[in-house]
This record gives sequence, C-alpha cells and structure tokens, in this order.
Amino acid sequence: MIVLGLEGTAWNLSASLVSDDEVLCESNSAYIPTSGGIHPREAAQHFANNVIGVISEVLSSTNPRSIEGIAFSQGPGLGPCLRIVGTAARALALQLGVPLVGVNHCIAHIEVERWKTDLLDPIVLYVSGANSQVLSYRQKKYRILGETLDIGIGNCLDKFARSAGLQHPGGPKVERLAQESETYISMPYVVKGMDFSFSGIATAAQEALKSAPLEDVCYSFQETAFSMLVEVCERALSQTDKSDLLLAGGVGANKRLQEMLAVMCSERGARFFAPKTEYLQDNGAMIAYTGLLMLSNGIHTPITDSGANPNFRPDEVEVLWIKG
Amino acid sequence: MDQGITEEVVTGAEAAVYIQTHSVIKKRVRKKYRAAELDTKLRKERTKLEAKIQSDARKAGVPTPIIQEINGFDITMERVEGQPVSLVINKTIAEQIGEVVCTLHSAGIAHGDPTTRNMIVSNARIYLIDFGLASNDRSLEARGVDVHVFFQSLEALHENYRTLKKAFLVGYGKKCRDIEQVLSKVEEIERRGRYL
Repeated sequence: MIVLGLEGTAWNLSASLVSDDEVLCESNSAYIPTSGGIHPREAAQHFANNVIGVISEVLSSTNPRSIEGIAFSQGPGLGPCLRIVGTAARALALQLGVPLVGVNHCIAHIEVERWKTDLLDPIVLYVSGANSQVLSYRQKKYRILGETLDIGIGNCLDKFARSAGLQHPGGPKVERLAQESETYISMPYVVKGMDFSFSGIATAAQEALKSAPLEDVCYSFQETAFSMLVEVCERALSQTDKSDLLLAGGVGANKRLQEMLAVMCSERGARFFAPKTEYLQDNGAMIAYTGLLMLSNGIHTPITDSGANPNFRPDEVEVLWIKG
Repeated sequence: MDQGITEEVVTGAEAAVYIQTHSVIKKRVRKKYRAAELDTKLRKERTKLEAKIQSDARKAGVPTPIIQEINGFDITMERVEGQPVSLVINKTIAEQIGEVVCTLHSAGIAHGDPTTRNMIVSNARIYLIDFGLASNDRSLEARGVDVHVFFQSLEALHENYRTLKKAFLVGYGKKCRDIEQVLSKVEEIERRGRYL
C-alpha cells in the first residue's frame, strides 16, 4: 500500500509518501518566525502558501493513481495550522477517490520509530514544544502514565530563552550554553506521582538571570527539568516491568537529555533508543506510515469526522494494529 | 541500628530495601544521571519527608513500622513480622484495610502506592509499609488514586476481587462519610485509564 501523509501541527509543514517497507519521498517547508516564538496565524499563513508546493513535489515522484490513502495530522496542535492540512487532505482524498484518515500526531511519533527500530513495546518519553508525556501501550491504547501539569518542556525552554534574549528556537542555544557550566543553582523540582510541572522552573530561571551568569542558569534549568523527566521514565519502567525506553519529539534532540536517559537505562539494565533527528522532528513520513497502519486495519475517517482536534489525546485512539 | 545480617534486598526505582533480622533499612540510592548537588538535595528531602509522613500516619492511628533512625539517605525502621496481605487477604481483612486507609486519608495523608504487597497482617492488625510515594494531600484526586491503586492490585491477584472491593468499601465508609464522592473520583480515574 502507498499512503500520502501530511503533517502540519505547529512549525513544520511536511508531505511524504510511504509504502509498507520504506519512506518513498518527503518534502518539507518549515515556518521560521522572524521574531519571538511561533505565531499561530503566521504559521498557518506559511502553511497555506506552501501546502500545494510540498504536495506537488511528492506527487511528481509517483503516479498519483498508485496512492491508496491520504493521512493527515488531525491533532494535537495549533488549530489554524491543523485546519490548513485538514482542508488539503480532504481535497486530495476526494480528488483521488481514496480513503482519508486522521492521525494522532503523538502516536505517529511512536509508530514511525517502532517501524524503524526493533522495539515492540517500549515506554515512550514524548517531549516537544507543547507536549510532555510518558506513555505505555496496554490493552489497545497508548496510556498516558505521566504528563506535564502545565506547559510542555519545549515551550518552557523557549519561554526562558526568549527572556534571556536568545532567538527562536531557544532549545539548541540553551543546550550549547549549558555545556559551558557545572555550577548548579537550585530550581523548583516538581514531580507529583507520575506527573511533573515546568512553570516554576521558567519563572525561577528568569529570576536567577538577575544575579547569575547565563551559562549557569541554562545548565541548572536543563539539569532540573530533565531530571524530572528521567525520574518519571524510570518509575514507569519499574512499574510496568518493561525494559525498553524510546525517546520521541523535537526536544529529544537534546544530547544532555539523551545522555541522562542512557545512564538511567544502563543502570537498570534497560535499552534506550534515541532516533535520528529527522524522526524526532515533526515529519510527514510518520503521519503517512501511521495512516498506512490504520488503513490496513480498516480504520478511516469520514469527512464529517475529519475536523481539526487541537487537544487530541493519544489515549483517545483505539490501537487496532497492535495484536494482543 | 540492627546488628543482624541482611536476609533479603529488594530494589525499587528509587531505593534499595535491606531486610535484616530485626530491622528494615531503606537506602535511597545515588542516581548517576542527575547532577550531584540536585541528587543529594532530593534524596535528603525525600528521606526526611517519608520518615515524617510514616510517623505522622502512626500518630494518627495507622499501624506503620516505627522509625528507629534517619541517617542521611537511610531510614532504619522496625521489621514488622507477619504475612503480606497479598497472600492472606479475605473479606474481614479487606474490610479492615478499608478502615485503615480511611484513617490515613482522614489524617490528610495519601499513601500513593497502597497495593496488597505494601500491607502486612501482624497480630490481627494491618500495617501499611513503604511511604516512598506518600504525600500530605487531602484532595479527592489523591484519595481516589489510592483507592484505585488498591483495587487494581486486587484485580491483578485475586479472583474474588469483587467481594473484596465491596468489603473494603464497607470498612472505608464506616468513618469516611464522603465515600460516594471518592468512588465517583475512582470511576473518573478508571476512565482516564492512565494509572497501572
């Protein structure tokens, strides 16, 4: 089966064609804010201007008649962005006369990595701008074992970076500065059961900047926030008796976070997987592949149910493609 | 401090528990993944808090092991002789557990992990052990999670879990009059399906 997938939840607009075995092609158009953070309306405008371009590019590499389904990111994400890709996907599906399938963006991150690795049933740490969750598959659903009580780790990093005068995206800049320091400044460490909170760190870091070097604040920010995530992952591994940990989402590109997770896993004899950056970032292939899994298992989305779902939670999706 | 030999070591996500002849020592282990200063701070704070909550629970009338010593990251406590609830549970015991958990909640404490493995029957009393995830929390959410975690442990291990759940609720409802609110919270938590 060949499926065309459209991703467009926040900053990256991406179209891709996948078959059962491989990614056939992908075309990306990233929205880069001229100043400040992601502005939903500007992002959507960028998507609207470029969606025909990315689709045309992947279509040019194949006979459109070979495409058997259209998948699109239905949520979670920014409403204006989701509506652009949703509209494009509906138009394509109607034009080609093939089924449409709405994909949960978070599940797509997990599935593309299960596809590209030998992981069967991992604990997943999903960390991106707006999302921070620890997930585990059980009885036909990806269950959310723990999640942020307020803001996502990526947004928290960006917010702090902006207040420190660093340009978007702030994460990589904070990471680089953090490498210059080993001076730890105490910041709010909030883990409640399996949930965590980041809003306190953002405020504390802004406050710390008044009296401490930027490098020390970046270092302390990362050490505190990432330790919270690693702790919850370790608890999830322990409670579920699972032995694989998978990292997903854009913040997963951070090398210090990867290192901490690797150390935790090696100490308890678990395996740790950090995928290539192209799959950590938002990409069309993951939407296309997850759509392919869904269509192969008889799942499709009628036009009337294909509206944007900005708060789409992964545990709303029945995972019929995993047996057992 | 116990002079006896260690008979068994149980390791969890956060700590290693050394079971000795007369005492149990819980050691919070160094986590190499996190910065040393943060690691030391967290282990100290949590060791103190756990010991405090465990002894507060005891003062409120919930049988828990007596804390003998707190030393850095280690808590030494009395070893309670008896049988794990998971092996001996019946209707009477389940009802008693309900009373004990209600007493704990009425003192403003949530246990965090009240499975049948974290309870011991000793001299016809139910002891709660392992306060590692306990918190000072009166909220319906925290109480609901406790009841839900207990129910899950019954369903996982015991065939007659329906009878045992009912008996627990009889015990819980004796003094905790808001049992209906707690139960509807439990249903909400079950619908979310996120706790194990």
